[in-house]
Amino acid sequence: MLQYTIRRLIGMIPIIFLISVVVFSLAKAMPGDALSGKIDPLNSDPAYIEEMREKMGLNDPIHVQYVRWMSGVVKGDFGDSFVHKREVMELVGDRLPNTIILGVSALLITYCLAFLMGRFSGRYAYSMGDYLISGFNYLALAIPSFVAALVAIYIFSINLGWVPATGSIGSGVEPGTIDYFLSKAKHTILPALVLGSLATASYTQFLRNDMIESSRKDYVRTARAKGTKESTIYNKHILRNSIIPIVTLLGFDIASIFGGAIITETIFTYPGIGYLFVESVNARDYSVMMAIAMMLTVLTLVGNLIADLLYGLVDPRIRLS
Amino acid sequence: MEPVTQPTTAAVGSMSKPPKSQSPWALARRKFLKNKIAMISLVFLITVTVLSIFAEPLTVPVEETAKINLTQMSKEPSAEHFFGTDKSGRDVFARTLHGGQTSLLLAFSITISVIIIGSIVGATAGFFGGWVDNALMRFTDFMMNFPFLLFVIVLKSIFLESSTATLIFVISVLSWTGTARLVRSKVMAEKENEYILSAISIGCSPFKTITKHLLPNVMSTIIVQATLTLAVMIVAETGLSFLGFGVPMNIPSWGNMLQEARSPDVLTSKWWIWIPPAAVLTGTILSINFIGEGFKDAFNPKSNR
Repeated sequence: MLQYTIRRLIGMIPIIFLISVVVFSLAKAMPGDALSGKIDPLNSDPAYIEEMREKMGLNDPIHVQYVRWMSGVVKGDFGDSFVHKREVMELVGDRLPNTIILGVSALLITYCLAFLMGRFSGRYAYSMGDYLISGFNYLALAIPSFVAALVAIYIFSINLGWVPATGSIGSGVEPGTIDYFLSKAKHTILPALVLGSLATASYTQFLRNDMIESSRKDYVRTARAKGTKESTIYNKHILRNSIIPIVTLLGFDIASIFGGAIITETIFTYPGIGYLFVESVNARDYSVMMAIAMMLTVLTLVGNLIADLLYGLVDPRIRLS
Repeated sequence: MEPVTQPTTAAVGSMSKPPKSQSPWALARRKFLKNKIAMISLVFLITVTVLSIFAEPLTVPVEETAKINLTQMSKEPSAEHFFGTDKSGRDVFARTLHGGQTSLLLAFSITISVIIIGSIVGATAGFFGGWVDNALMRFTDFMMNFPFLLFVIVLKSIFLESSTATLIFVISVLSWTGTARLVRSKVMAEKENEYILSAISIGCSPFKTITKHLLPNVMSTIIVQATLTLAVMIVAETGLSFLGFGVPMNIPSWGNMLQEARSPDVLTSKWWIWIPPAAVLTGTILSINFIGEGFKDAFNPKSNR
């Protein structure tokens, strides 16, 4: 297992290198360059502009610029944001906790809802409730996240006034107080609910089908023959076996939550990584954009590795090699 | 002697022939036609498509939907404007139909190019195996690492003039990987069959073997995949347009129409501007998913629902 993990991690290095080349080339291919945000906008003397270009190394050959950028990235330095006039890592570090809070709460909501619905559907398959749940699943699969977000804002923020529609924190609350925590929770619950409940469908279906399949197995027949109560059979024997495969979906979710947050965060103007990304593309803030693109792509790689490792962990029959 | 060979063989032929069994396609069609939800969805989808195609004769020409009409701003639904007008005084009903044309056409085009690229890559990798398979699949895996939405936005902003053609190109480039993997695995399983061996042994070229013998037998999988891709692509296009990275703002599309709901005023008090595109959009995706499920069921010989 350890050997496999190390081998996979080493195998990632050339892929990360290729990804960095792609990200860098894409950023270079975009119109405009890093200069526009950095110079004195009132001084339009061509000699001055040329001097600044030379000074910032924008006239160097492209591979020299790449090596310079990459040697910074290896040390964890993605350069400065032209719009925010701050270090990129600092900026990302500011926004990252928000996205993590949103992602973790969304995941929790997904797991809780999917567990409850899947357990019900699996136990009472082909009942009225099962059909209702599968109806909800179809709707959750079909409705685009931004439509769901709009409807949620319309109902819960505007008509009922329960939670605020935008931002991640109320104004004038001190960090570290109870108020701060409550305000944060109030701002996060709606986007998390939208992200989380739309993602339940595949989990619910997975758990339901696995439970139905398990209920026909021999060990269940044995348990029944011994006179075990039906509720014990489902809660103890079947559920324990069926819940395990779901864990493996976690790895894929890590990446999809960060990537999927782009739309949700933008609608709720929730200051996380996704919203920062959209802002930086619009403002042509290349260093921020490249940093986020790099980070999320590497995160996808890591997520896939975690998924593979979890597979081996929960199912000893799968040999990782 | 009378030449009786002709009728005799015919009679013998008809006698010894077992009752004609239905082809897999006919079986699938019958199963699909019996699937109520799928049929209702199909009717819904056809209605939406036909209305969108005939948007111009039914309502106003597409140039009219872009025109700003200050005297008709934010009118509630009435006999004159079925769904009311939006903040720029444009008829919401006309824009929903024209928007459907844009969104559906885009999704269809992207789906077709995704399926073509994916099938070519998948079939080539699966049929030839060896280093071809290795190289193509490594490339596919590599492409899979890029988070979809993120890189569509990055690629999209490279092109200075945003047009629907660049959008089709950008989305297709990033989304063929799933289809390629699926087709590859199906082709690999199918090519172990003896009819493929016999096709190769009588001298069929690889191209002919793939197109004439392999692809027709994995077609059912491709059709199901295409249906599900279509739904995903409608979501992708509208989502991108909603964020402002999709269809140019002057062309009506469902995503562009929904973008108006980002202003709190529209969302709060002018429901007729955003509810129609939202409802039609969700209904369309729902019906496509049901049709896809119906196909999957119909092509699966083991299911007998």
